Amino acid sequence: MGKYDVIISSLPASDCRKEIFFRQAGDGFLQVEYGKIPTVELMDSFRMLAVDAEIRKMDIPGLIETLPGVRTNLIHFDPLVTDYKGLISYLTEAENKIQSVDDMVIDSRIITLPMTFEDSKTKSAIKLYEKSVRKDAPNDMGGYNLEYTALCNGCTVQDIKDMVMGTYWYNSGCGFYPGNAFWWPMDPRCKICVPKANPPRTWTPEGAVGIGGVSLCTYPSDSGGGNQLFGRTIPVIQMKMVHPQYKESPFLYKRYGDRIRFREVEEDELNEICDMVNNGTGYEYEIEEGRIVVKDYLEFINSEEVKTGAADLVRRQQEASKIIPRV
Amino acid sequence: MIKVLNGGIEIVVEDWPGRVGYMGLGMSPSGALDNLALQLGNIIVGNDPGEAGIEITAGYCSFEFTEDRVICLTGTDMSATVNGKPVPVWEAFKVYEGDQLQFGHFADQGFRAYILIAGGIDVPLYLESKSTCLFGAYGGFEGRKLKPGDELMGGEVADQDALIGRKLNPQYMPEYKNTWDVRLIVGPASVPDYVTEEGMDYLFSHEHKVRHDSNRSGYRLEELPSFFFARENGGEGGDHPSNWIESGYNMLGAVNINGNFPTLLIGDGPTFGGLMCSANIIYADLWKIGQTIPGRDKIRFIQTTQEEAKKARIQQLQMLKKPDLVM
Repeated sequence: MGKYDVIISSLPASDCRKEIFFRQAGDGFLQVEYGKIPTVELMDSFRMLAVDAEIRKMDIPGLIETLPGVRTNLIHFDPLVTDYKGLISYLTEAENKIQSVDDMVIDSRIITLPMTFEDSKTKSAIKLYEKSVRKDAPNDMGGYNLEYTALCNGCTVQDIKDMVMGTYWYNSGCGFYPGNAFWWPMDPRCKICVPKANPPRTWTPEGAVGIGGVSLCTYPSDSGGGNQLFGRTIPVIQMKMVHPQYKESPFLYKRYGDRIRFREVEEDELNEICDMVNNGTGYEYEIEEGRIVVKDYLEFINSEEVKTGAADLVRRQQEASKIIPRV
Repeated sequence: MIKVLNGGIEIVVEDWPGRVGYMGLGMSPSGALDNLALQLGNIIVGNDPGEAGIEITAGYCSFEFTEDRVICLTGTDMSATVNGKPVPVWEAFKVYEGDQLQFGHFADQGFRAYILIAGGIDVPLYLESKSTCLFGAYGGFEGRKLKPGDELMGGEVADQDALIGRKLNPQYMPEYKNTWDVRLIVGPASVPDYVTEEGMDYLFSHEHKVRHDSNRSGYRLEELPSFFFARENGGEGGDHPSNWIESGYNMLGAVNINGNFPTLLIGDGPTFGGLMCSANIIYADLWKIGQTIPGRDKIRFIQTTQEEAKKARIQQLQMLKKPDLVM
């Protein structure tokens, strides 16, 4: 073993799962990881969440919390109570309880969020970045991130907007800042990929919507951030818990499994809705109960049309990566 | 009980171990950045070691007492005075209604001081902790740093006069420096897939200056050489080789690689994100980060293991329980 090796143990791939790696991740932290090559595939997340539910049921001594991501699960534990070895035997047991996820049906709400492309607040964040963080940022061409995003994906600004609007986005697990979720496109033909800002922004307005790598984020509050921004939506948290939507929890999104989609509105309408949420009780969030039937999802992503479209996007991204200015 | 006259640079209410178990909601543990000084001070004034205290960053602040109380100052010596007369550090003394406590600037070594109050601080528990999360604007005193006019109430205390004169046994005095030795466990993004062996050698063989833009959400270090990275780019995580597919962060000390800049994740920072973490400060050394002076101090990293980290935790816990800890 090399002096910087971190893979403590692994489980071989089988018919129903990829190879699984256990990596040391700090004093009291262990990371579970699906597959040798990091890729974003929602099947990994479906499995990760099913296994995570098992882990939570098991009452594992010394387990403090888990942070599931799309292909990883960060396990926080008390090293005075347990160790890697003890923990891995429980985690292996949980993995073995879940066979194929192909027949799963997952509860998943659909939240429709009003969104304005190229709104004035988000634009002012980019101006500020140019002024106070990085003057010559290549991702700010034309005073906004959309043109750069289009360039990185070998398409037009309108194509980017169509991709954002054209798919459900699925949350593999919350984290980062309070109430934030990580959203991934359900339709692989809409898997926009774009570099994160380098260095990150110091200010992003609440409600800004952007993509970094292939992950979309609706910023829950004014914060730093590295996603390439393209618009703004309504509040997704309310710490004072006054609006009826936030009576039970300050967060709009469940810890994982929700889907969102966007509905385009003018900035005036968006501001009116924000005002109703922040200062009153008007506006009812558009939330439908729903389910993801994994079999149907598999059929969809494996259809010729989707596979061809997705492969075409990847090809365009690869071509583009040869010419785009690096951030 | 204690009223703020001058809020200085940054004064906040923090306890220990903070808000543990909510990272999956995007809520970092927060807590005292020098948890050792906080705990030792609490023990001196007869509180539970993890009781909330007032954390003072960089000094220049003043307070007035509205009732008689036994208090103790710990952390770096900021030449504090009561009504203009010098008062001791690491020793309990009594203040009376109307007394004014004033802090000068931070000393040659150490950056934070703590005020511990017999009976503790009476702020509401939020998710089981009294700690302030400045970034999220929740917890502690109204979710923010203290400003002139704010008054904190004290908890119940019996027979406090018996505490006067109790002081830390000098043999257990934490040693403050300008070059800090901090122990790290490598992972999860390590050699060979994410970092080169030469890159990791660099991390452990160089002194890393702490940048001036460090704060409660992250301590930033100077740039790493590009040979640190084993990959050309971050694939679906993003263009830069520090980018990776979003995963949970060890918010208790991860060395998060932010473009070419390592950031130590401590306090109020993000719990999840798309930048790789390559190593982690051990729990027993977290306190040192809170005392490093941004823009001036340096950190030397020493590689260690989970087993050693566990021993160090136990040692620290045993120290806090020593019968001769307080004289």
